[in-house]
Amino acid sequence: MHKYGLYLGCNIPFKAPDIEQSMRKVFPALGIEPVDLQGATCCPAWGTAPSFDLDTWLAISSRNIILGEDKGVDVMTGCNSCFGVLSEAKHMMDHKPGKKDTVNKRLASIGRTYTGTSKVYHVAHVLHDIIGTEAIASHVKYSLKGLKIAVQPGCHILWPTDVMEVKEENPFFPTQLVELCQALGAEVVDYSRLSDCCGMGAMRSTDQEKSFELLKRKFDSIKEEADPDMIVTTCSSCYLQMDGAQKTFRERGLIDYEIPVFYYTQLLALAMGFDPKEVAAISKTSRDAIIAEICNDNRKVQEEVQ
Amino acid sequence: MPAIKIDQDKIKEAVQTIVDLGGDGIRNCVQCGACSAVCPGVKAGFPVLCRLLIRKILNGQLEETIEEVSTWGCQSCNRCTEVCPQGVRPQEVVFAYRRYQAGELAMSASAFGPQMSLYETGHAVTTDATAANREKVGLNPVPPTALQNKAAQKEIQTLLDESPMADLGIF
Repeated sequence: MHKYGLYLGCNIPFKAPDIEQSMRKVFPALGIEPVDLQGATCCPAWGTAPSFDLDTWLAISSRNIILGEDKGVDVMTGCNSCFGVLSEAKHMMDHKPGKKDTVNKRLASIGRTYTGTSKVYHVAHVLHDIIGTEAIASHVKYSLKGLKIAVQPGCHILWPTDVMEVKEENPFFPTQLVELCQALGAEVVDYSRLSDCCGMGAMRSTDQEKSFELLKRKFDSIKEEADPDMIVTTCSSCYLQMDGAQKTFRERGLIDYEIPVFYYTQLLALAMGFDPKEVAAISKTSRDAIIAEICNDNRKVQEEVQ
Repeated sequence: MPAIKIDQDKIKEAVQTIVDLGGDGIRNCVQCGACSAVCPGVKAGFPVLCRLLIRKILNGQLEETIEEVSTWGCQSCNRCTEVCPQGVRPQEVVFAYRRYQAGELAMSASAFGPQMSLYETGHAVTTDATAANREKVGLNPVPPTALQNKAAQKEIQTLLDESPMADLGIF
């Protein structure tokens, strides 16, 4: 079974461990063994070391990639921000003249050396490009036929394409998450603000109201143009923002609807028959009704009789 | 509004400061505005991001802009880098400017907590509910990360102690 280092980041293991559990369930069933990167730290997030000192950022990011190098595995992360930070750091370490030597001098103080042998992937890339949508479709036990999904790829998985190991053909019209959702039998609906930012991250920390205005425009586009049964993302930050902010928006009277939000591997795990209490148990916007709809005997895929 | 006085020495110093902090593409900027056109920060109403921030630096207005919080609203999404026809990599310029601001402790108050958390736990974001959340979904209450791994935390603390960040007294 091919191994990948599972780099968890911060949000997923602490705030949304049902996403982590969904990954731990679906990958082995799809022929990929996720290997824990013991002692992994924050990527470090854009608002920390990268905002203060370039080489400190590269040293901390490199240390996380080294944990994969030591095990002889590529690194895959389910957090878009981590993917962006680690990909950019790796690109600088591998391509900026003298950078690897400079940073390795810092890493010497903790007895580590970056060599550049492990690639950085997003979980979505491993699912789409390594496992493939046909293999995913063949593992579906509960078809999502008839259900409408609005996808939210998120920012840091899309840009800049020149630092990524795997990328979209056109990052302003991304198709990978669309195809992953279609592999479950669902219909993916269009909306005009697909590539808009959800407002999480630095923007929300700096000015929550500006962040919410951006998200409200996105929600309006999703609801009015697509009216989906759920929103599906492969970004843990987008997940936390789009799931949590709906509650605030309803309390403020800004919206009068609820759209359940899933991280893609959660939806995949449900479609593969895993227990919702483990793979989709924590959310602020209720997912009970749609989970009951998905895990319905009527949706069971009949195995072909040979 | 008073006219900007062109001071070549000031411009040279400002550009060199940003280049030294990692924004070396700034010299290529032709002010086309492609970066600002796709910037979610600009769309949300942070005025001094991408094109305008770069213009101010190219005018030598480094100190005059130091209290500007727009840079801390940058989502680091890199739409700007993707569309820039000149190879400026505007996000790297924004972050170089952030580093200039951070060096003077001119940053958003929200930036302090994550630095302390990174130093103490190895993670910028933590929550008291971690163990309960994890047990609820059938996972080991202790994640395999640095959160409760003293050796890993020590490595991060060593890297941070030996960095310029240590001189700022933020952890």
